[in-house]
Amino acid sequence: MIQHLLDGILVGSILSLGAIGLTLVMHTLRFANFSHAELLSVGAYAALVFDGIFGALYPQIRSTLDPLSLTWSLILAILFAMIVTGLSAILIDKLVFRRIREKGDELSMVFASFGVAMVLRNLISLFFGLKSQLFSNDIAFAIVISRDPMILVKPDQVFVLVAALMVMLLFHLILSRTTFGYALQAVAENPVLAQISGVNLSRMLKMIWLIGGSLAALSGIFYGLNNQINPVIGRDLVLPIFAATIAGGIGSVYGAVLGGFLVGIASNLVLMILPSGYSPAVPFLIILGVLILRPNGILGEARA
Amino acid sequence: MIGLISYLVFFATVASILAIAVLGLNLQWGNTGLFNGGVAAFFGAGAYGLILLGGTEQADHIGGFELFYPVALVGGILLSGLIAWVVGILTIRLRRDYLAIATFGVAVAFENLMRNAEWLSGGAKGMRGFERPFEDSIADPFVFNIIFFCFSVLVLLGVYLFLEKLIRSPFGRLLRAIREDEVAAQSLGKAPNQVRLTAFVVGSMIMGLAGGLYATFYAFVSPQDVLPTLTFQIWAMLIVGGSGNNQGGILGAFLIWAAWTASGWMLSKFAPVEAQLYTGTLQYIMIGMIIVGMLLWRPQGLLPEKLIVSQ
Amino acid sequence: MFVRFFKSFRCLRHALLLGMVGFSSTVYAQNCTTKIGAVLPTSVDWGRPIAATAQFAVDLANDAGGVAGCQVEMVLRDTQVDPKVGVDAAKALVDLEKVPVLLGAVSSGVTIPILTSVAVPAGVMEVSCCSSSTKITALAEEGKTKGLWFRTFATSGVQAAVGTMLARDQGYKSVVVLYKNDDWGQDISKLTVRAMKSLGINVTNSIAINDGQASYRAEVTEALKGNPEGIYMALYPKEGISVVREWLSLGGSQNMIMANSMKSDEFKESVGLKYLKNALGTDTASPRVESASKFVEMYKARFNSEPNGPGLANSFDATMVALLAMEAAGPNASGTQIAAQVGKVTDPKGTPIKADTAGFKKAKEVLKSGGSVMYQGATGNVRFDANGDVSAPAVAWSFTESGTKEERYITLEEVDAFMATMQ
Repeated sequence: MIQHLLDGILVGSILSLGAIGLTLVMHTLRFANFSHAELLSVGAYAALVFDGIFGALYPQIRSTLDPLSLTWSLILAILFAMIVTGLSAILIDKLVFRRIREKGDELSMVFASFGVAMVLRNLISLFFGLKSQLFSNDIAFAIVISRDPMILVKPDQVFVLVAALMVMLLFHLILSRTTFGYALQAVAENPVLAQISGVNLSRMLKMIWLIGGSLAALSGIFYGLNNQINPVIGRDLVLPIFAATIAGGIGSVYGAVLGGFLVGIASNLVLMILPSGYSPAVPFLIILGVLILRPNGILGEARA
Repeated sequence: MIGLISYLVFFATVASILAIAVLGLNLQWGNTGLFNGGVAAFFGAGAYGLILLGGTEQADHIGGFELFYPVALVGGILLSGLIAWVVGILTIRLRRDYLAIATFGVAVAFENLMRNAEWLSGGAKGMRGFERPFEDSIADPFVFNIIFFCFSVLVLLGVYLFLEKLIRSPFGRLLRAIREDEVAAQSLGKAPNQVRLTAFVVGSMIMGLAGGLYATFYAFVSPQDVLPTLTFQIWAMLIVGGSGNNQGGILGAFLIWAAWTASGWMLSKFAPVEAQLYTGTLQYIMIGMIIVGMLLWRPQGLLPEKLIVSQ
Repeated sequence: MFVRFFKSFRCLRHALLLGMVGFSSTVYAQNCTTKIGAVLPTSVDWGRPIAATAQFAVDLANDAGGVAGCQVEMVLRDTQVDPKVGVDAAKALVDLEKVPVLLGAVSSGVTIPILTSVAVPAGVMEVSCCSSSTKITALAEEGKTKGLWFRTFATSGVQAAVGTMLARDQGYKSVVVLYKNDDWGQDISKLTVRAMKSLGINVTNSIAINDGQASYRAEVTEALKGNPEGIYMALYPKEGISVVREWLSLGGSQNMIMANSMKSDEFKESVGLKYLKNALGTDTASPRVESASKFVEMYKARFNSEPNGPGLANSFDATMVALLAMEAAGPNASGTQIAAQVGKVTDPKGTPIKADTAGFKKAKEVLKSGGSVMYQGATGNVRFDANGDVSAPAVAWSFTESGTKEERYITLEEVDAFMATMQ
């Protein structure tokens, strides 16, 4: 029970990072961006490439930081990957979404995002192949926290959880303490009104893509660290991330974090009741339950 | 030449069946504004229902009632309607994105149940043992395919005429009134949720009909037939064709299905030998670009919604 | 990464070169082409190598001068693992390209509708490398496949029995079973659990592994309950990597038994050989003749790796049998005529022939003189029963530095006897 709860929190932190970006975009631009999860793949592969480059240039930074399987070169690569992914998000918006936004409705955007997701995913598999890859081939063994009940934790997972929580905290501070944060919230609330009040809308939109993209990259890299990297990361994670966003309430950053944990924990705990074959359906049924009780998500507000 | 006709008949049959599902979705989204993300479940219920009721007895799961074909088909449709009704009661008051993810969850759960509950649906192996009506008496498979194609087109035409009549009726006007301004409709004494539920159930039953025809054509259904890809395909057809316009929906169904299949054919035909192993991946890129391109070109769909004057 | 991408292109170029060499040596023979259709999931990680292996077999036949007097062209279409797409592709191949034989599909959910709505009505022969569903046997028993259906994938019964045999011989008292949640996985796990229980091995749990989950931690935590001595896995490499890494890091036993799907370099490299010392796999066996090692050699020369991966050997044999039958049936034969020749090229009394260019040439001579041949392929002396199913001897294997090695050969009689003791 405790083990499942713990595992759920660890998985949940990865989903939360992905959901924060999605909820910002969904709220500000009013469309469900199905290509958001592909940014996780972009981030993971970008980190893989940078890690390879840095490791080759400066072999001394390749050694692992025990007990983590992380290296300095990967940490450096993470920063670069976040920037690259954020910029690709802006680029995709410029190429596709902005043009459709100018003349079409939100549903056109939703299906364009499906198309973008297909193109991105298959471009990645064309360049990097379909096989699974890893940041490190070593297996990081779990540490026994307690024997009865048996509780095991992997150092990497703790790192991921701590890092994710710190990023979320940082983001919270930016949102609640800086003028930039207020402007971001204003744009998310009401883009037109924000513009009238002197916020540079197009620059803010770029910032939203940049933040969403870089958080997605982080989420994808952490997923790769804990699991594996393959071109279908986006396809596999798009639904849990959507579920987290919507359960938390579209537009609420804190809701997205909460939703991520909810989905992570739910899909872990369910194995105690149902055979594992049913586990993919369970997060959605929980969301169905949440929405029946709170039609706008846990922390979402009704909006016309 | 015969080969080309034979293929086109086959292609058009599948496209017509998918077009029926698109029309069902158009009633829900185009006319009522219901974002149904679970098309695959309602389509699948029709398909599974048909084989369950109309198929022969199988050792590993229930069913095998060998009912008269139209009865089995209607049974499948009613199953879709029943599921839609239960889902609708729970979710119909949700708005757009929330309704979409809730119904999407229903579709995932449906696929999951079909995959795991072997006693009910044959599990991941799927369901077979369905005898296609008249197949034995029509010796030539080509003739059978032509007849089945005509049958599918007739059903499509029937559904189209029914929906055209429906949206021009006072009920159709009510649907659009609720889509545009729910509060105004409410102030006139209408019950929006009741009306929405009706549209949701009717639309889902039309999808169930499409699923029934699909299972008839393949004489087989498995969880692979009800994956979320199907929901995406049907939606893409509607959005590209023009939501709110039934003709647009049908056009979209044929166009997207043509793009989906012809891209593979062209790549296998014209791609160099070195690239043949990568054509699957290239095909996905092409399909994605076609969809994005069409939406960039005409975001409102090829045939946008027309102003309809109800009698 | 990029390197792999270029490497695969290099392989292809190499292959093209090989093909051209073959072409030049046989240029006197013909200037016609005959087509064979392939509907395989090339956009899926495990599907692409299956298609590459089929193409490899076609190239070998072309090096031997082609089939029925013509060079063979394999027309390949992706199924996207979507039945609609696969069926449409098959129909296009049959109607527009006029192929008499279809290779594929992989998933039974795609194979069956192709069989019922395309291949059988059009009288086209269908050979699948990898579809394991028992529903197809049922179709064949009802006469619905009209003798047009064959598969080189041995039914799951043998694999399950051999896996159980290994668990018994290793002395594992308790085993947890993990299986891919598809038709093949559900089948093989059910059979394995039954077999193990009948031998008194305690099956602590049997856990379905779904594709593409965000984490397999929960499944692995469940699997660890009851501290099983061994773990039996019927998974694909991609999920296998995640599951096994998780399993090992949480302190799971290294006593592993794996189905043939995990015989993959990708799996070995990602998990690490040092953790796989106690891992045994099962597979259908190659014949006890030199041609088997020859196949491995040829494969290595072409692809720069051992033929390890789900369905590769089966795909090679499916293609070879189809090509031999096309040769036996002569020019412009229909699917039905070709299917009727399958018995003649897999005749246990026929001349044994090897699965390479020389073997193919020899087969052509024997067939021309009216004889029959016994094809000895990558999965053994392929022989189909009346329902188009194969049964093959089995082998236990383990991972090595360079690939895999055979630990033990288990004859069909031995498997049968073992299965009989379980009932």
